[in-house]
Formats: sequence, C-alpha cells, structure tokens
Amino acid sequence: MESPEENKGTRWFRVIVLLILLAAVASLLSFISDLVKILIISALLAFVLDPIALLLESRGISRTLAAVILFCTIISAGVIAALFLVPLFFGDIDAIQLNMDSAHTTALISKIEHLIENDLAFLGIKDIHLMEKAQKAIGSMGGWVVNHLLDLASLMLNLFLIPFITFFLLKDGRNFKKAFVSMVPNKYFEFTLRLISNLDTQVSNFLRGQFVDAMIVGVLSTIALWILGVKYFLFIGVFAGLANFIPYFGPIVGAALAVLISLLNNGSFETVFYVLIAFAAVKLIDDVAVQPYVVGKSVHMHPMIVLLVIIVGGKFFGILGMFLSVPAAGFIKVVLRESIVNLRKYKAI
Amino acid sequence: MNNLWGNIFKRQKREGVQDILKKIPVFEGLSNNDISHIERILHYREYKPEEIIFSQGTPGFGMYIIEDGSVSIVSEPSMEIIAELQSGDFFGELALLDDSPRSATAVAKTSCRMLCFFQSDLLDLIRRKPQIGVKILLCLARTIGERLKRANEEIHALNKRSETPV
Repeated sequence: MESPEENKGTRWFRVIVLLILLAAVASLLSFISDLVKILIISALLAFVLDPIALLLESRGISRTLAAVILFCTIISAGVIAALFLVPLFFGDIDAIQLNMDSAHTTALISKIEHLIENDLAFLGIKDIHLMEKAQKAIGSMGGWVVNHLLDLASLMLNLFLIPFITFFLLKDGRNFKKAFVSMVPNKYFEFTLRLISNLDTQVSNFLRGQFVDAMIVGVLSTIALWILGVKYFLFIGVFAGLANFIPYFGPIVGAALAVLISLLNNGSFETVFYVLIAFAAVKLIDDVAVQPYVVGKSVHMHPMIVLLVIIVGGKFFGILGMFLSVPAAGFIKVVLRESIVNLRKYKAI
Repeated sequence: MNNLWGNIFKRQKREGVQDILKKIPVFEGLSNNDISHIERILHYREYKPEEIIFSQGTPGFGMYIIEDGSVSIVSEPSMEIIAELQSGDFFGELALLDDSPRSATAVAKTSCRMLCFFQSDLLDLIRRKPQIGVKILLCLARTIGERLKRANEEIHALNKRSETPV
C-alpha cells in the first residue's frame, strides 16, 4: 500500500504531466492555428446549417444533394460578399481614416484637449498633445485593421477549404459519429451514444442561438444607425453583430465604436446621444425579445471567464480567435458538464 | 480501424438484416425502402458470452435486436432470470420513448451479434423522414398498448385468483 507521501508525490507527478500535456496541446494548437481556425469555422457553419439540411431532407431531398445545395449557397454568399460587401467595408474603413484628417475632427480634438488641460489642470495634466496621440493611435488602428484584413486575406486563400470541410461535415457528419461510436468498447457504448446525442443538441442550440442573435443585433444596429444618418452604418452594424458573439463586453465595444465614429464624423453630442439610445434600445430588444427565445441559458458563463477566454483566444489565434473563443469555450463547457452528468448517471464516478 | 473506414466510406449491408427487421413489430408495415433507411442507421455490436449489454438502473436509451445468439434478462440483486431471448427477438424498446432506468440487466448468454436502434436515431429519423418516423411511432404505440392490455389481463386474473376462497 502507498504511504501518504508517495500518494502526494504521485498526485503531483500527475499534475505536472497534465500541465505539460496541456502546454503541448496549446503550443500544437497555436502552431496549427490556421487549420484550427478553419476547422472551428467549418464546424460552426455545419452546426448552423444542419437544420436547413434536415429541412431539405424532410422534403425528400437526399443528404448529399442537401449538402451540395448548401455548399453552393455558401460559395455564392462568399462571392456576393466579396463583390459587394467587402468593397463597401473597405470604403468605410478608408473613409474613417480620411475623416480623421479633416479640419472638423482636428478642431474637435483640439477642443477636447483644451477642455482637459484647462479643467483638469489641478490633476497635473498639461501638454497632453491629444492630436498627435490620436493621429498615432489612428495610424496604428489603420495598421491593425490592415494587419487583420491581411490575416483575413491569408485566410481567404484557404477559404475554399471552409465550404469544402463544411460540405463533408454536413454530408458525412452522421457517419463520422457512427464510426467513432463503433470504436467505443461495449461497456461505454450506450454512455457514449447518449453523451454525443446530448452534446449535439446542446451545442447546436447554443451555436445556432448565438449566430441568430448576432445576426439580429447586427441587422437592428445597422437599421438604427441608418435611420439616425450615421455614416459607415454598415461597417458599425456588422461589427456590432460580430461583437455580440462576446457576452458582456461585445455590446459595449460595438456601442463605443459607433460613438467614436459618430463623434469624429460630425462632433455632435446630440448624434452621440441618439446613437447611445439606439444601442441601448437594441440591447433591450435583444435581452427581452431575442435572447430568451434564441439563446439557451444553459451555457451561461461568468464575465471573468469570458474575459479570460477572450484574452487566451486573442493570444493564440489573433482577432478571429477572440471572436471564436467564446463559442469554443461554450462548447468545452457543455462537453465537460454533460460528461460529468452522464458519468454519474451510468455510475462511472 | 476497418470498422471506422467501413462506417465512413462503405454503406454497411449485412445479409439477412432486412429479414430480421421486417419481423420486428416496431418496424411492421414498413416498405423495403423504409427498412433500408432503418438498416443504415442501426449500430452493429458484438458481445462475448457473459458480457453485460446494459445494467439495471442505468438510463435506457434504445432497443436491441438479437441478430445471432441468445441473451438473458436478469433481475438484480436476486440474479433471477426473467427471460431468455433468441435470434430475432428484441428488448429494451420502451427506452426509445423514455429515459427511465432499465428495469433489468441484459447479459449475453452466448456470443451475440446485436442490432441497436437508439432514441437519438429515432428522433433524427422523425425529423429527416417524418413519414417513416410516424409509422415507427404508431407501431411502438401499438406494441406498448398490447403489452398494457396483456398486463391488465394478468392483473385481473391475479385479482380474481386472490378473491377466490381457498
């Protein structure tokens, strides 16, 4: 029999081995980060598109044909986005940068600089050179945007892979699952099947909910900004929709961007006020009428966990990682929770 | 590994499976085409003698059809054998509708080849092929109804027997 010291030693050894393994997995993932990103995006798309494939199947269309139809739809959507939305998007970003150099913006920044230097002199704030700093910041923001669009551009080189992998996940997903289950020993067969089924339901609901929610928020924000006459409403609206993937922080970041751009655009605090009201209204509609119906409460995450997950996602996989990290963390949470619940049900723990 | 490639790239077809399925009351009245759909979603498992198929008290998740071999249904903890089932027999069909714990343990008496049809596959089938799903649900309801009728008759007979003075 092992002594308590030996037991402690073994436990520590296990912890160290586990940490080394985790570090190895993390470095491997970051090494193949492009492939991981592509796989995650394809899996997300397959989960989101699965109900449409099911609907087509229920109308008598074969699974393969349903997958082909969806594959062609993704390609067409990609082409339309590349032809119409991307130039609009780039146009908006260019215009935002150009706008930074306008006399109006310079005057506004000087006004704010003056206000801070005069009114906050008692805090020892002087010679803050806000204009210089703002130009530097915008310059680096431009660099940041270009970098990440280049990151997207490199992703676009692999973009044909996403519809391709999504197609096979849609077409053969069921066979992949069956193949995996066939390798499981008899003892764990029912347990595994139940676990996969529960995971499938929960993860699908979570991801579809997030996707639909982000789309609704994006569309509502775009419409609200368009009604208010805010320039670059499409860019801000799309950003607000995407940011909504990140709970707690996403809506704030989306609103902050809209406020910043409208402030720099016409400097009217009245517009800023209306923009804030619009974003608050969108958030209210989202919280009251959209989220309770489309996003399950089952994958609730603490704000601190969300923040940590975003930092880790950003560290390993860049800006796209920040957006994908929350759904990925939601997926991991469901896997862990369902595994524990099922292990208990099957008296394995 | 062969099993893995078989599952992904080949459509599994086993001799005689369709004939077995046609005789199962749950699949009664299904066309050959419908039966082919069912055959494609079944899981194929092999059990050694004395191997437990499922244990009493664990959540039920689906039904098993004996393709080849024999199975004992055992009540725990007395280990009393409730039933012995042979090739072509099926058990656990209630679990297709209900998650409640298994009421007995199923043990392979000899080497067994089993066809397994699970709740998740039935639900998936209902969404994909509602016309087949509805037929199966109807058959299931009929099977369970018949069992209920038989159980009622047995209770009635037992009551009568207990009322009769000795």
